[in-house]
Amino acid sequence: MAYRRVTRRRLFILAGLALALVFSMALDVSVGPAGLTLPEVVRAIVMPASVPDQMAVVLWQIRMPVAAMAVVVGAALSVAGAQMQTILNNPLASPFTLGISAAASFGAALVLAFGVAIVPVALDYVVPLNAFIMAMLASLLIHGLTMRRGVSVQTVVLLGIALVFSFNAALALVQYLASAEALAAVIFWTMGSLGKASWPKVALVCALLVLILPIFARRAWALTAMRLGDDRAASFGINVARLRLETLLLVSLLAAIPVAFVGTIGFVGLVGPHIARLLIGEDQRFFLPASALSGALLLSASSVAGKMLLPGAILPIGIVTSLVGIPFFFSLILSNAKRPW
Amino acid sequence: MIRILARLWLAVMLPWLQPTLAAGAAEPITVTDAAGRQVEVQQPVERVILGEGRQLYILAALDRENPFARIAGWRNDLKEADPETWHAYLEKFPGAAAIPSFSGLEQSLIDIETAVAQKPQLVFLNLETKRATEEARYVETLAALGIATVYVDFRHDPERNTEATIRNMGRLLGREERAEALIAFRAEEIQRVTDRLAAAKPAPPRVFIDRAAGFYEDCCHSFGSGNFGALVEQAGGMNIAKGLIPGTFGQINPEQVLVADPDQVIVTSGDWRAYSPAGKWVPVGPGADQGAVQDRLAYYPTRPAYSGTNAQKAGAFHAIWHQFYNSPYQFIAMQQLAKWFHPQLFADLDPDETFRQLHRRFLPIDYRPGYFATLGGGN
Repeated sequence: MAYRRVTRRRLFILAGLALALVFSMALDVSVGPAGLTLPEVVRAIVMPASVPDQMAVVLWQIRMPVAAMAVVVGAALSVAGAQMQTILNNPLASPFTLGISAAASFGAALVLAFGVAIVPVALDYVVPLNAFIMAMLASLLIHGLTMRRGVSVQTVVLLGIALVFSFNAALALVQYLASAEALAAVIFWTMGSLGKASWPKVALVCALLVLILPIFARRAWALTAMRLGDDRAASFGINVARLRLETLLLVSLLAAIPVAFVGTIGFVGLVGPHIARLLIGEDQRFFLPASALSGALLLSASSVAGKMLLPGAILPIGIVTSLVGIPFFFSLILSNAKRPW
Repeated sequence: MIRILARLWLAVMLPWLQPTLAAGAAEPITVTDAAGRQVEVQQPVERVILGEGRQLYILAALDRENPFARIAGWRNDLKEADPETWHAYLEKFPGAAAIPSFSGLEQSLIDIETAVAQKPQLVFLNLETKRATEEARYVETLAALGIATVYVDFRHDPERNTEATIRNMGRLLGREERAEALIAFRAEEIQRVTDRLAAAKPAPPRVFIDRAAGFYEDCCHSFGSGNFGALVEQAGGMNIAKGLIPGTFGQINPEQVLVADPDQVIVTSGDWRAYSPAGKWVPVGPGADQGAVQDRLAYYPTRPAYSGTNAQKAGAFHAIWHQFYNSPYQFIAMQQLAKWFHPQLFADLDPDETFRQLHRRFLPIDYRPGYFATLGGGN
């Protein structure tokens, strides 16, 4: 039957994406200035006690957290972008449309330039915590405002744009008042970097994905129906307003935490879902995992490419995701006969 | 009738014309500034605007009795970047607090309204501001008001420009002798390092410069071939980030640091309590508390990027005041770096003493040690 054939093809594509991701991760872990051979890498991962300390440190404390972070952050941003595009019914929507990344950058800049911490907590986590709090404040603001005035898509998007401009202006003000070193630190933060990866952070983002993906999965058919338009979806008995608000909150959470940890990594949240859509289509049951996988693959491949482009130095990952993703995206759009959107 | 009236008019006006005719009697001086421009400056120079507050480092050596006597306005970067030194000057010269100041980064424009309102004869601008200043045509605007602009530089290309800058400032302020003494002192102290290195040609240790430690969460920000990177090379060390970072500032993969296996790690830092209260900065600087410095410095050997390196095994971690990268006193940092890199060769060199001498012979404030530190104490 045609349905079975289509489903089988989609599962095939999902498997293909997963395989590519595994390959990319393996590459990410094997490539690096330390010049370790593949057997050494495998041995260091499987039996860390049997290799010299330095090698174990390189693998477990430097390379693997970065590789794992690329995967979970890529997946989180891409899923967030997918749902954003679904509920806002807009191909240009990304997890940052509602001002999350702008707010997070502002929060981080406050700490880096003035030492102002919103919650006076100790040491290492001040910058991510500040960034996260500002990001959630932004999304809660939109949530609160739209609950009062009704949740038409235009209202939400306009409010989001207003917030983006406001926070960008505030960030510019902070940059203007900052000292030279603080300014460099702020700019570096806004360019995004996987270098800040550590196992606790990876675990947190992973936990987030594990918690939120099932929630989306349960609403899969409702979200798919949203793509038919508000009226059609309502005629199916879906509470469109509530679904939209709930999804917005979840998306904010899903985007704010990775951004708080690694800075602003643009492009993944916008293009990951489109790649998934071009490959697999709009059905949420397949679209959701495909978005996660393609986002993870995009960021992981960028991490590898970044290491190869400038060996030894660290290239801000946001630059690389664009360089890697754009050609691929172009080729997908131009090669596909049917219009995907 | 008209001719009589004209002569009457001239007779009446002559006293008023006299001063204007007499003006310009003081000889103007022509200098070649750091941008290669020939600038004519009217003498005497009584009021100057400092395009960058840290130009005070040199001015204070020339106008030792009262460095602020001639400053009509300045940028507030000294107060922000080096508050300890600022307070030391403020204590001795409380009037300095009243000097009008304006803000902005190294390469941004000066506040021209403040500058003009103070009616200076001369504005000293740092070379970094040249592009912005030319675009805004400040030089022409100031010249139309009879204010000369002189570019100075002790940061961009210190080897070539610092001496010329000090000499120019000396000439313009009528302090040639002091300027020459300062130049001679600096040249002599630099030669103590470069001559000995050229003669002995010791093998350079591999050095990693941990830039602005405490400002960034993640590891391994460093200098490329400029700034502290150049200083390390001049002091007889090998900067492992040199070929890797394209510009002057950048970040190195921690793995790369591990692989490069540095023999020594130089942490550039300062008391950044105001900017990064939770950061792991090391509070070196004038009057630093050695106990606190050692405590903070002890964190660095534990970083994963240094695990198993020679530096970690030998405990060869040093901290140096970050602001040296912006200062004409950089030659003292070079002496200290040389001493760390080649302790036997420079056993008789005492950078602290050099700095003390600089303060005693040239500057109006006292020297307060604490700019350098080595893990485990002892320099």
